[in-house]
Amino acid sequence: MAVAATFFDGETAHDRPVTVERISNELQFSGENTPLTRWSIAGLHPIDPPSPGQPFRLTHDSQKGSRLILRDDAFINDLIASNRALRGGYSFRHLGQVLGWTVGGLAVAVALGWFAMSFLPQQLAHLLPDSWRNRVGEQVISSLVEKARKCETSAATGAWSAMIAKLAEGNSSLPPISVSVYDVPIMNAFAAPGGRIVFTKELLRQAETPDEVVGVLAHEIGHVAHLHPEAQMVRLAGLQILISAISNGGSGEWAGNIAALAAIFRYSRDAEREADEYARSTMAAASIDPMGLKHFFEKVLKLEKGKPDSTQTPSATKPTALEKIGDVFSTHPGTEQRIKDIQPLPTDHVPAKVLSEEQWKALKAVCG
Amino acid sequence: MSDTATMAGVSAPEQLTFSFVKRPGLLKITIVSFLLTLITLGFYRFWARTQVRKHIWSSVHINGEPLEYTGTGMELFKGFLVVFFVLILPIAVVTGFVGILYGPESPLLITIQFAVILAIYVLWGFAVYKAWNYKLSRTQWRGIRGALVGPAMTYSLLFFGSLMAKGMSLGWATPVMNTVLQEQITNDMRFGDAAFKFKGRAGPLYPTYALCWFLTLGAIILVTVLASVSAASSPLFSEAFGNQPQNAEQIAGMLIIAAIILFLVFLLLVPMLWAVYTATQMRVFADYTRFDGAPFRLEATTGSIIGLTVVNLLILIFTLGIGWPYINRRIVRYVVERLHLDGKIEIDRISQSKVPLPTRGEGLFDAFDVGGL
Repeated sequence: MAVAATFFDGETAHDRPVTVERISNELQFSGENTPLTRWSIAGLHPIDPPSPGQPFRLTHDSQKGSRLILRDDAFINDLIASNRALRGGYSFRHLGQVLGWTVGGLAVAVALGWFAMSFLPQQLAHLLPDSWRNRVGEQVISSLVEKARKCETSAATGAWSAMIAKLAEGNSSLPPISVSVYDVPIMNAFAAPGGRIVFTKELLRQAETPDEVVGVLAHEIGHVAHLHPEAQMVRLAGLQILISAISNGGSGEWAGNIAALAAIFRYSRDAEREADEYARSTMAAASIDPMGLKHFFEKVLKLEKGKPDSTQTPSATKPTALEKIGDVFSTHPGTEQRIKDIQPLPTDHVPAKVLSEEQWKALKAVCG
Repeated sequence: MSDTATMAGVSAPEQLTFSFVKRPGLLKITIVSFLLTLITLGFYRFWARTQVRKHIWSSVHINGEPLEYTGTGMELFKGFLVVFFVLILPIAVVTGFVGILYGPESPLLITIQFAVILAIYVLWGFAVYKAWNYKLSRTQWRGIRGALVGPAMTYSLLFFGSLMAKGMSLGWATPVMNTVLQEQITNDMRFGDAAFKFKGRAGPLYPTYALCWFLTLGAIILVTVLASVSAASSPLFSEAFGNQPQNAEQIAGMLIIAAIILFLVFLLLVPMLWAVYTATQMRVFADYTRFDGAPFRLEATTGSIIGLTVVNLLILIFTLGIGWPYINRRIVRYVVERLHLDGKIEIDRISQSKVPLPTRGEGLFDAFDVGGL
């Protein structure tokens, strides 16, 4: 069956009338100005899916710029019946490719994200200059304590120095730190970049012995020594960059909004374990009774279990940034294990006295 | 003449007629595009856009021969990747680190953000030009493709200049600048080796522009006066109904509702008003444009443009944006069904464009989120 068709050679817009014939697995066509051309059916590609009443346009692997335009419905139907690929449109292969690329792309993205979030920040934290650590440390503290008053007395400062000196007896490479107390009614303590450690008034109020405070201090120094706060900041910066890149380069208000970041300023379980280990070994070497820390842990756990989850029950006041960062030990599953890991001093060690009675009183009274 | 024509098999000059022949299958494309875009977290949009263009292009017939869109989703995706890694990611990293290092209010960060915004304005025209170039180079009729032959930077600078001029003249430079921009891009346009030409002055656009401008000003003044009157009168009401505070509250509430309705009417009326200018500009620009010597004519009317826009908006709202392929088709159909080329063209003499094909598609345009068609 030979039918009339039109051929465009892709060189000029001239339409060339041709006669097309299907001979076994080939289309053969020729016309007045078109020499005999043979296109294998396997190499044909439809420009559009065939549609009744519309010209059916074909091109061929051997002449990608050329177009053969068929208008004879019977011929077209016969042709597409012989080769399903000529129906064009969506195919399962097409959908399979899309899904394959999506799954592959997601896997790569997740792998890169994991690398960027878990491994890289800890490495980058060591490269940060001290000026950066100090500036960001201040920003973090001011956004977490908000407008709370800083409590300072010379007697209390002496007490902190005494505790640090005591810990230094067990660990000669204690990182440089500075401790401050803020008048905040939430029991918490945290380490910020630049070796800044913050205690709240409420924590000091709840502490029953100097051993409890020095235990918490040792734990926070553990975070400082491992540069956990710095790594966390790098992690958050990376997250922000990722988010802003995904949201098409929106470079607006998010930059450096540390108060918002505080919501996810929680350490991983590994970081907590590292800080615990640091606290345990330092205290053991300095002959400080770790039972104080253990006791304090248990107290926190009891408080946590006793109070309803603030994220689920509507509370009268919305949680402050300091509450959102999680409490001093970031209580997640595993806290019981962490408590069990704290062993008493060997019996032959005499527990050292960390603070004198006066120093302890001065510390408890620092916020008046 | 007739001898050579016979020898080459070249037929006589022809009148070109544009028609829109609806094809079935857009609903399927729309649904599949939506689902796959959802599954792929948005990345299928490049392929979706390509499918929709292929469909719409095939519905546009010129002398019975449909257009063909030869672009691919992969080209659009590559364009996106290049812009993402060359532009978006570095900007995000730099602003991110400066923000973290020096704080959100540091002068350095503000300077960088200002520079980024400026760069976006400068690059906007570049993006528009490149997007047109890509689309033209991927549009074929009778196996011949289109092209833009000029440097994109000229248009880009003109575009930036036009934004400044429009702003500084309170809009009055708009007809002139639009004419200059249209002239610049049209004169770069080719179909195969045949050229488009644009020639004309902005003068005839000004009466309509002035009408729209003053009516808009009047509307702004009216709304402001009514708003301040209602604001000023509400304390009077509270005084008058001092012993009946409930009545006063009711009336104040009604006044607020009235003010909101007035504002919404204003928001709807002003774009409708400007449709008068849009229609005029479309008609005038078509008149100024020639293809291979033959002048175009576009039967654009204010009413039809308002109708097109309102229905498109309703489609957008009621399909939650999923119906965008229909909006694109309606826009193309609107132009195709109203476009005429008065004069005859020696179609057979047009030969293939020698301009190299751009390899990537409209990444910048996509980044600025003005994608669509």
